[in-house]
Amino acid sequence: MSEATKIDAEKARKSRQSRERRMIRDFLPPEGVPLNFEIAGLGMRLAAQLTDLLLTSLFVIALLMVLSAMDALSWNSFGILFSLLFFFIRAPYYIVTELIWNGQTLGKRICNLRVVSADGRSLQPYAITVRNLMKEIEIFYPGTMMLTAAYLSPFEYIVMLVWIGILLAVPLTNKKRQRMGDMIANTYVIHQPQAILLPDLSTRTAAETRERFTFLAHQLDHYGAYELQTLEKVLHVKTEGFGKDVAERHQTNMLAISDKIRAKIDYTDKVETREVAEFLEAFYVAQRRYLESRKLFGDAREDKFHKEDEPEPLA
Amino acid sequence: MSDQAIRSTRFRAEREADWKRLEEIVTRTEKSGVRVLNFDDARDLAVLYRQATNSLSVAREISLDKSLLDYLEALCCRAYLSVYAPQQTLGGLLKRLFVYGIPQAMRRSAIPLLISFLAMTLGAVTGYLLFFEDNTWYNTFMPGSMAGGRGITSSREDLLEVIYSGGNEAWDNLAAFASYLFSHNTRIAIFAFALGVFVCLPSFALVLYNGLILGVFVALHVDRGIGWDIFGWLSIHGVTELSAIVIATAGGFKLGLAVLFPGNLRRRDALRGAGRDAVKLAVLAAVMLLAAGLLEGFGRQMVQDMNTRLAIGWGIGLGWLVWILFSGRGQDRSALDAP
Repeated sequence: MSEATKIDAEKARKSRQSRERRMIRDFLPPEGVPLNFEIAGLGMRLAAQLTDLLLTSLFVIALLMVLSAMDALSWNSFGILFSLLFFFIRAPYYIVTELIWNGQTLGKRICNLRVVSADGRSLQPYAITVRNLMKEIEIFYPGTMMLTAAYLSPFEYIVMLVWIGILLAVPLTNKKRQRMGDMIANTYVIHQPQAILLPDLSTRTAAETRERFTFLAHQLDHYGAYELQTLEKVLHVKTEGFGKDVAERHQTNMLAISDKIRAKIDYTDKVETREVAEFLEAFYVAQRRYLESRKLFGDAREDKFHKEDEPEPLA
Repeated sequence: MSDQAIRSTRFRAEREADWKRLEEIVTRTEKSGVRVLNFDDARDLAVLYRQATNSLSVAREISLDKSLLDYLEALCCRAYLSVYAPQQTLGGLLKRLFVYGIPQAMRRSAIPLLISFLAMTLGAVTGYLLFFEDNTWYNTFMPGSMAGGRGITSSREDLLEVIYSGGNEAWDNLAAFASYLFSHNTRIAIFAFALGVFVCLPSFALVLYNGLILGVFVALHVDRGIGWDIFGWLSIHGVTELSAIVIATAGGFKLGLAVLFPGNLRRRDALRGAGRDAVKLAVLAAVMLLAAGLLEGFGRQMVQDMNTRLAIGWGIGLGWLVWILFSGRGQDRSALDAP
């Protein structure tokens, strides 16, 4: 194979990897089958955090309203009392909710996030306590200090800025997006996966329909798993209920794909425009059967560049 | 035609019903916890979860059906989270923490506690002696915000007035309590704990400094001949509060000692191990600071008699001590898999 295709293959694989969602690959439950959790993005975590902050501060404000309605508060103690109550409601709130809902606060529940223990065992109360106590030191204490920045000396101000800079840098620089509390408690924050089972495409159309199209072994040698699964994605698209132009666009896409495939694999028989879907499904099933059996024989084909992976024949 | 179906299709068809059942159980568990499951469901959850992980492991090898792989990955992850969820109740956890966890952690931390206590005593004695050598040391050590107008120029009467001034406005007390909590001592406790990880030195300096303040403050009153009165005034909350600072510092020392002397472990692992006890000490310190805040905010204003103040302060101190020394001595049967 030429150098040029080799470089192409590398480029394609790299760009595919960078587009892939960030996963935790070394999570091993006691059953011994690694599970791949998706790491929660920092944006989502911020959203969950803000939701929690909003909820707790609303609760505190409501409490203060009740107190002031009882005429028991003077205005100058209001601020102090707010920060005090906020602290005493906030700190247990995170710990207790994460204990009750197995690693989810209300904000995390809304944003579909969850805390898991990095060792693959169940989440220990100790870990929950540590990561949330660290949150006080990491986030809330410097946060409060920054809010009262006017009262800080320049030296304290700089120390706080450096501290906050370090804290922001920690989750941004490590791959698993752990903040300092996560590291000490040995936890990850993950995206709660949604399990949706789509129908098996290989049983969707009757075998008789598919058998009108036959493929030879050399025609199935071109593609690998990546192309197969991309085709699967296209075939799973549903256009009902999305209007006429969506259906038309999908039809055009399918036509373009089938033309491309036919050109690549030298499929000479005629395919009518109306039977494009059947042709693609037939090709999908044949290709999957072929690739799966190759895989069983130890020839797993990642993508269309699979020929590059084969070892050079001995001269 | 079924014998012509692809191997992975047959694989899926044979197991799909089980996966669906597992998904249904898991969804129910996620909504309302494992408690709502009946016996059959609970048993099936465990069995089906293991079967599903098995299927996942096989599917990764034989199947290229992306929708199946995605589904199984997600299903196994969610089932894992349902199966390996903490099963303790909140009340049980708290009980275990306060009956076993904290007292046992305290008894294991005798050395850091001793160092921390000695550091504070050293500070206090030094401060006391320095004051009598040259009483301007008072201004050097005492932060202005803490003195509450009491300085080396104050007369005996001024000082006595502060000691026995009782405000009876309940909400003013609460405000005093609030401002106290964010004041000096809480901050010292937090920092002494958190900075202990830097090989103990910052914590040592902080607790020593706190001792110095205490020393000069007491010396000022002794100098005016009202030593016993200030002793009572400090005792009612100070026994609890100063102990809390000592304990928080000991927690910090525990972390610092793990960094200094990790033994056969890597430093990171030693730190993680020490963290378990250190956090318990921090929780205890927080509880004690809260109690001290209540005592200072309400107790000290309401109780004006010196002897009662002494009795309350040291009585509560004795209570803490008894709890730490004698609680959780037996076998903790509720915590066979305790953290």
